[in-house]
This record gives sequence, structure tokens and C-alpha cells, in this order.
Amino acid sequence: MKRSWLAGSLLSLLALGAIRCTNDIPTSSLPGGAGASGPGGPVGARLGRPDTNAGTWRMIVLTSANQVPVPAPSAVTSAEYRAEIATITAAQAGLTKEQQAKIDYWSTGGVLRWNEILRELVARYNLPPAPRDGAYPVPDATNPFADPQFPFANPPYAARAYSYVSVAQYEALKAAWFYKYEYRRAAPSAVDASVKALAPTGDVPAYPSEDAVMSGVAEIVLRALFPAAVDEIDSKAAEQREAALWSGRAAPSDIAAGHALGRAVAPLVMARAGSDGMRNAGGNATLWQALADGAAAKGQTPWKSLETPPRPPMLPFFGNVRGWNLTPEDFVRERPPAPPSTSSEQMRQEVAEVKNTVENLTREQLAIAYKWSDGAGTYAPPGHWNQIAADYVVGAGYSDVRTARLFALVNMAMHDAAVGCWEAKYYYFNPRPSQMDAGIKTPIGLPNFPSYTSGHSTFSAAAASVLSYAFPSRTAELDAMKDEAGLSRLYGGIHYMSDINAGKDHGRRIGGYTVEFARRDGAD
Amino acid sequence: MKVLLSTLAVLGVSGALCAQTLTDGIMMPRKDLCTGFVYEHDRWSEYWEGTLKRDNRNIGSLTTRSVVWMGTYGVTDKINVIAMLPYVSTSASQGVLHGMKGVQDLTLAVKYEALTRPLGSGSLKLFAVGSVALPLSNYTPDFYPMSIGSSSRRASARLTLSYTARHGFFANGSGAYTGRANVTLDRSAYYTDGRLYYSDEVAMPNVIDYTFSVGYRRSGLVAPFSFTQQHTLGGGDIRRQDMPFVSNRMNASRVDAGVLYYVPKVQNLALKLGATRTLTGRNVGQATTLQAGLMYTFHFGGPRS
Repeated sequence: MKRSWLAGSLLSLLALGAIRCTNDIPTSSLPGGAGASGPGGPVGARLGRPDTNAGTWRMIVLTSANQVPVPAPSAVTSAEYRAEIATITAAQAGLTKEQQAKIDYWSTGGVLRWNEILRELVARYNLPPAPRDGAYPVPDATNPFADPQFPFANPPYAARAYSYVSVAQYEALKAAWFYKYEYRRAAPSAVDASVKALAPTGDVPAYPSEDAVMSGVAEIVLRALFPAAVDEIDSKAAEQREAALWSGRAAPSDIAAGHALGRAVAPLVMARAGSDGMRNAGGNATLWQALADGAAAKGQTPWKSLETPPRPPMLPFFGNVRGWNLTPEDFVRERPPAPPSTSSEQMRQEVAEVKNTVENLTREQLAIAYKWSDGAGTYAPPGHWNQIAADYVVGAGYSDVRTARLFALVNMAMHDAAVGCWEAKYYYFNPRPSQMDAGIKTPIGLPNFPSYTSGHSTFSAAAASVLSYAFPSRTAELDAMKDEAGLSRLYGGIHYMSDINAGKDHGRRIGGYTVEFARRDGAD
Repeated sequence: MKVLLSTLAVLGVSGALCAQTLTDGIMMPRKDLCTGFVYEHDRWSEYWEGTLKRDNRNIGSLTTRSVVWMGTYGVTDKINVIAMLPYVSTSASQGVLHGMKGVQDLTLAVKYEALTRPLGSGSLKLFAVGSVALPLSNYTPDFYPMSIGSSSRRASARLTLSYTARHGFFANGSGAYTGRANVTLDRSAYYTDGRLYYSDEVAMPNVIDYTFSVGYRRSGLVAPFSFTQQHTLGGGDIRRQDMPFVSNRMNASRVDAGVLYYVPKVQNLALKLGATRTLTGRNVGQATTLQAGLMYTFHFGGPRS
């Protein structure tokens, strides 16, 4: 009997030992200290060329890199500056583990870190309003903590948000670079041997501090886009400035000048956001009806929401929002040709193709559908491509300003892709496969807006074209990702092949406008 | 969500096996094999989004149908080996979400009667149960509430104290701790419990459960009534209007009534019926489950009276 008891306990122990339960799941994909949960790794390799001429690179919103004045700093031999050095050495002498962890976190690069924070904010706020009394309350920017929370960071909202954060950061960093090489005041760790260099400086002059510039931009831009996250944004921004000081990268006056510069550039960029048409992108019931009537007048089955109760279409007038590198005329000219008529034989075949695909999915196809699902509660398709861009930038030896340029280019292209795609979606107001055949059930969530063209395909092709320009050796890989992202929507049962093919072509053409900008901006 | 099934999957428990479950106080005698199939029909139309109870007209009611094969073998009179394997399919009555189906997780358990003491007019017994659950097919856990399970490998340790009076009335108390292995998604980032994680791997919180049951049994009939509480030791809530997630904190309390009835004139064949209702919960549906099955006992040790 003793033996059987032993056998029993042994079996349960074996059973418990057979499973692995670890809670050590990374909350960052970046190297270099995401607290306890980052993948870790060397960060010294970052910061290759200092890009000394970045102050001459073409501006996007600002008229020039020195549009916002930055006064000359005091000399490194001045009493004021000596006192600042003393502040840093005192801080470094008493550095705690937590402070060191914050230095490591930010030494990965502020642009990458803010991009990561932005992706997290999008995932947090990418939830549609819950129905109330048979209707859907609209998120209210003046009451962001309510139910529904503000914003609903859906794909167009997210595309625009990624672009404004990236462009504001890029503009402010070009301005910072202008003054850095105008005044050429070195980093404290390079000025005075008593200051340790706890994070790489890439030999870039410290005045004004690029870290503080980014923190100032974030305080204004992120806060406007995600007002309910204000405390977290402010605390991250303050932490970035502290880390700049503790690491010996910047003196208090470098930080003060950078912070002021970032806070001065950001409103110039946000003024553009305030008048870009976003406030009218939601429309109203009369306008929504007009869209349906317009499609019906053309003899087409108009899109309708398949949610219960029917949900208003997602941002139906986002197609009128101002683009970055396409004019309104460009958007009309680049609009994809009409989809197959809803009564055509081709449409019937494409509907059948979707149904047949979904009902005979392989496990690999289902995995692709989930890999690219990027639906509610995620960082959205533009976030997915920001993640890919971040993976490419890590280890590419980019300066902060060049990293900012890459994110600005990718996100301008994806914002333009969102505008162009939404313009086409609501111009044609084409029904989803599940509307054409109620028997089509979807293994991923069904987006609540018209089918033609596929947003994923458009975003992916636009992002891939910009990334291929920046990383030409990875073009084949990017093409494969773009194609897979497009096909994932067929596997998900939410798009016809013609949506996907037209979206990819459209996205590639839209991305081309940003690539054209990049070729002429003075950075290559 | 996926009420009973996920709960069952979590616990590695699935109704009565002949006269045995992982939680009851009955053993198969040496060289007896009791095996059969049970059909389960589980349905809910309201669920708890975190702690907020709501309906969702894009799901309507969610139905989970399963056919569970079960078998219990008496290695000795005091050691039983128990196995079960469900085939599961899900569907929603409204909306466009696609149902899922497939072979779910194989549960293997060893049940050991550790102690028997006469007490009053009856007897008191202590049982120890160790079990593992192993997903047998590559289903996705990333489509709750339509996923057929969590796809997590699990191991459980359970103790059961059972008292049976002379006239056949019995009372049981049983509790278990279940460890759950990380699960793998088909995507490289996900948001849960207030954080964005950059991995395809999801840490699964462990689970405790306890059950109290009372009932009556005599030759040819077992009729238990039980209350079960399940607590998940961690995990995030479903956010407002979000989809559920595999590692959500899924808690539930349920009542369960069942009967196992040996069909007269057909030797060794038992009819099994059961009903379960979820009373309270968190991140699960308020499910009603009905169960019907046939179990047959083979006496490899020779016929018995």
C-alpha cells in the first residue's frame, strides 16, 4: 500500500513537472533594459553616423529648422556650466539600481521607446464603444475617462496618430540638430572627465538635448491624442529627461533648452492636426445614408453594418483628411478603379472563393489570419508595421534623427494609405463577403466598414515600399510580408481577392509619394 | 467564456465516470473497466465582461457541443486510472463569428484511495488524485469565446474527503490546485491585463477549485448534487467591449445535479444524466450544461454478482 501511495504521488509530481509556467514574458521587443522583462542585449552598437547635416534636411511642417529660436548656451568654462557638471557628478555618485535601469531603458533610443509607448497606447485604446440603449455613444475628447473611453484608436485614427507623433518628433529633432551643430557644445561626459558616460552619445553635441526635445514633443502630441493617459505620458517624459542627466548625456541647460524646443515645435505640428479634417471624419446619420443611397443609385448593393445593433461606419469621411505627401487631387487620381459590380459574375465567383477558402482553411492559413489580424485591442495594422520598422532599425546604426526620419516616412506613407483607402472604401461603399452571403462566417473579427479596398493590403504595401527604399536588401522579405498580410484577409473571410489586389497596388502607389519625398529630402 | 468547457478543461474534470469522477469518493474494483461516451450541450447568452454582466447581440447565445469519451480502470481496488477525451464544437447563434471544432485535451489521472476509517454508521475515505491534461490537436486558443479550449498543458493535484453513511447518503469535499503551462499564439504581440506583451507566448495563471457534494447511492443508482467554485489566480479582465483572452481571470461558481442509473435487465450498462448551471462568474458565460451518456462496465477479473 505504501508503494502505491508513493507511485501516486510520484505521478502527480511528474505531471506537475511536465509543464512549464513562466511569467517572464517580454513587454518590449527592444534591446537594453525594459526593466526586468526586456530581452536585454548590447546597446553600444547603436548610433553610427552622427548625421551632422540633419539640420539641413527638408522640413515637413516647419518652414525651417531654425523657425523656433534657441539661444546660445553658456560656455563649458563658465561658472554656471561648472555648477551643472557638479550636479551631474553628484547624481551619478548616488545612482540607484532603479535609476540605472531607467538609463538603460532610454539608452535604446528615445525614438524607438516613444514608438513602443505609442503602440501600447493604441492597443489600449483600440476598442469600439459598447452599445447602450440600442445605439453607440461617441467617444468624447473632453471626457476621455468615460465609457466609451476616448479615443477609439481604430486603424485610421491610429495611422494618423503614429504619423503626427513621428513627424513632430522628426521636425523637432532636425531643429535640435541644427542648433547642436550651430553651437557644438559637447556632452558633459565628453567635456569633463568626472562625468561618466553611462549611455552612448554618438559624439553628437548635447545642446539642446535630443532626449529632452522628444520628451517635450511627447508631452504635447501624445497627450492631445491620448488625453486619458496624461499622467503616464508626463511621467515617461520626465523620466527621459532625468535619464539624460544621470547618464552624462546632457547637462541641465541642455535639457532645459531641448525641452523648450520640443514644446515649441509640437504645437506647430499639432496646429496642422487641428485643421486636417479629422474632426469631420465621423459624419452624421444623414451623411451615412447619403453614402448608401449613392451606391444604390449606381446599381450596387450598398455596404451595411453586420453588427447588432447596426454600428455607424468607421470614420466614413476620413478620406477627406489632409494627407502628408498626396494632395486631395492626388488622392482622387490614385483612387483604384471600381470593384466588380455586386451583381456581376466575377463578384459571385469572388464571394464563392471567400466561402470556399474559409470552409477549407488549413491550420497554416488560420495562423496567417491570426498573425495579421491586428483587430480590436491590438496596436492596429499601422502598429504592426511600426513594429517591423523598429525591428529593422535596431542594429542599423541609425542616429536618433535618422531613426525619427524612418518612422516619419513610414507613418506618413501609412497615414496617406489610410486616407486613400478610406476615400476608396466610402466612394464605392462595397459590401463585405458576409453581407453578400450570410453563410460566410469569419475566423477573425469583421471590420465595420466597406470592403473595397483592403486596408491591410494598402497599409502593408505603403509601409513595405518605404521600408524597401530604406532597407533595399530586405525588399524580397518585405514583399513577402506584404503579400502575406494581404492574403490573411482572404483567410479571415473578410475580403475578396479583388480588394486585396487593388489595395496592394494602391498602397504601393501611395507609398511611392513618400519615397519620392525621401529621395529629395537631403538625408541620403 | 466557454463556460463549462473551459472550466472543465481548466480543472481536468468532466462529469461522472460510471460512478467515478476525479472529485467523488468511489473507486472501480480491480480489473474493472468502465467506459462510454457522454454528450454535453453547453449554452450561454449572458457573460461577465470582467465583473459586468452583459449580453452581446453579435454572439447571441454561444453553444458548445461535445462528445466525451471516458474510461476508468481499476489497477487495484485502491488505484484507478482515469482517462477522458472530448471532441468539441462551438457556434454562435448571431453575428458572423465562425465556430470552431476539433479534438480537445486528453486528461489522464491516477486516483488513489489513501485512507479508510469507519466512522459512526458509515465510513470516511481520503483520496488523492494526480492528473494531467494534454492538448491533442493544434487548435487556436486565440479566438475566445469560439476557441474550443485554452490549449494549455495542465497538471493537477487533488485531495478528496468522502463520508458515506450506511443507508447510502454521502457527503464529499474536494479541492485541487492546477498548474497551467504557457500557451502559444499565432501572433507576436498581444495586450492583456494592462500591458502590451511582445511574444507569442502567454503566461497562464494557475487555478484552484473546490467542490462540495451530497447525494445518495446504492446499488444501481448514484445521485449527487454539488457546488463548485473555481478561482483563477491571476490574469486580466475582459476590457469594455473587448474579446475575451485565453489568460483572463476566469472564475465561476456552479451547481450541478446528476444521476447515474444502471439500466435494469441490461447488465453493466448505466445511463448518465446531468445538469450544471453557473451561478456567478467573472470573464465567463453564465452557462447551462446538459449532459447525457451511456457507460458500460467490463469485468476483466471475471463476472461479479
